[in-house]
Amino acid sequence: MNPSLARAGSPGRRPTNVRRVLRRAAIYTLLIVGAVPMAFPFYYVIASSLMTPDELIQIPITWWPHHPQWQTYANVWTVIPFARMFVNSLFVTLAITLGILLTSSLAGFGFAKYHFKGRDVAFLALLSSMMVPFFVLLIPIYYIIKELGWLDTYQGLIVPNIVTAFGVFLLRQFILTIPDELIDAARIDGARELRIYWSIILPLIRPALSALGIFAFIYQWENFLWPLLILQNPSMFTVPIGLNSLRSYADTQQNANLLMAGSVLAIVPSVIVFLLLQRQFVRGISLGGLKG
Amino acid sequence: MGQRRRGRAGYLRRRDLAGWLFVAPVLIFSVIFFLGPLLFAIVLSLHQWDMISPVTQMTWVGFLHYVRLLQDPLFRLILRNTFAYTLGSLVFIPPLSLGIAFLLNARVRLQWLWRTLYFTPVVTSTVALSIVWTHLFDQNFGPINALLGDLHLPLQPWLSSPTEAMLVVISLSVWQSLGYYAIIFLAGLQGIPQELYEAGSLDGAGQWAQFRSITLPLLRTTTLFVIVIITINALQVFVPIFVITNGGPVDTTDVVVLKMYDVAFNYLQMGTASAMAMILFLIVLICTLIQFRLARTDN
Repeated sequence: MNPSLARAGSPGRRPTNVRRVLRRAAIYTLLIVGAVPMAFPFYYVIASSLMTPDELIQIPITWWPHHPQWQTYANVWTVIPFARMFVNSLFVTLAITLGILLTSSLAGFGFAKYHFKGRDVAFLALLSSMMVPFFVLLIPIYYIIKELGWLDTYQGLIVPNIVTAFGVFLLRQFILTIPDELIDAARIDGARELRIYWSIILPLIRPALSALGIFAFIYQWENFLWPLLILQNPSMFTVPIGLNSLRSYADTQQNANLLMAGSVLAIVPSVIVFLLLQRQFVRGISLGGLKG
Repeated sequence: MGQRRRGRAGYLRRRDLAGWLFVAPVLIFSVIFFLGPLLFAIVLSLHQWDMISPVTQMTWVGFLHYVRLLQDPLFRLILRNTFAYTLGSLVFIPPLSLGIAFLLNARVRLQWLWRTLYFTPVVTSTVALSIVWTHLFDQNFGPINALLGDLHLPLQPWLSSPTEAMLVVISLSVWQSLGYYAIIFLAGLQGIPQELYEAGSLDGAGQWAQFRSITLPLLRTTTLFVIVIITINALQVFVPIFVITNGGPVDTTDVVVLKMYDVAFNYLQMGTASAMAMILFLIVLICTLIQFRLARTDN
């Protein structure tokens, strides 16, 4: 339902056809006009990745390559160990996502459906401590990871990221809506607490889990600052770090095609995840956004 | 039945234990990776340390870092840059994303198309986008200047000009976040009952009047949320500036987190860097508090 379709002027009169058509035309026009700058950078990165070095430095500018150089995409994989970086990113991101889903659902369940003494204090303390921005903690956490010998390791990349306030908060909200009777019934049937968690709670919060999972995946995939700090060994690089290192190989406009191809490759996974799971993602934002 | 309240004490205690066990991993984690580091960071900001010598041999300097930083013209410039970036984001993102939310709220066809177009930037790697932005705004070969030239407008120096470099970086932040905040506003808009608008029409209220007296007030919580999140994120910006300008030209786009990273990991001055972080943290807290206060007094 749309407020902007309501008509100005005489009370209670339905908008005339002409007005309605104009309104819709205006809306579509604005959407299209707005879509152009939205799409432009994507067009540009794809077009540039397929140009020859000469086309890249041509004045006046080449808007589309005359002969798309598909081999640039093959070259990227050899200039830097990009394949390895993709594997690293995939492994780390999936591990973190699973970790977040696990920790958030366990804690969310505990805070929502159990009434132990000190629960609310613990919840508040937890939430406030986790709201501290990362940049405040980055030196101490770096030091911890360094002392553990976890620099340049998968666990160093994964462990500091497996708990988020947002996740605990979101899943607790969701689990609160599960009727207590379901849980009580399971208890009467003799189910243990962990089994209740696994067989009752988890299936019921599937939408929240998928929304949280998508969020976590997309956010962690492009996490830059933390890997930048702890990774020195190129074979451990994640995709964002690898892409950044590609900049030193392709530092002039002439070999920007390599850099652009790398960028496209870096963008593709998140876009795929988003396109496949659009609905959950959008729902997740509205959920998280309104709960604040 | 009845076991929840006055049940047998042993059973109740076992359930409490289960509750604690469920939340224990997260609690332990937060002590190790949030609470502990927070305290360490505060302590560190009062010391001098290079992370090479043992942590027990940190030198105490009291508030020296804070005093020095707040008097340092370079740090003040960096603070101003950070504020400029934040202000730029706040000026452009809320109105534009609200506008997009309105457009998306109208019953238009091809919702999936608009959602994809406006939303893909949000999920796109910021590093990749920053690289693209660097080339988009290339002074000599970039398409932006090419377009300006085609329109017979003067070409701009973009990344070599202090003001324009900041605008370039802000434009990336705006472009990338529009879809995200549009969705949030959209959810807010859809929470407004249609009857209110119908009543408004019956009373003869026009488009704009309805917007001002129905839509805006009811969007207040959503708007506050959007503004707070934009502010918090903008104050901590790192990636676009690191990739596009690295603080240049000549420190005019340098922001706190970037400088902090530089001071800590290139100059090994952990104490100073931690003090910077504390100052920024304080600013984040104050900004958030002010925004909540402003929202309250408006009511």
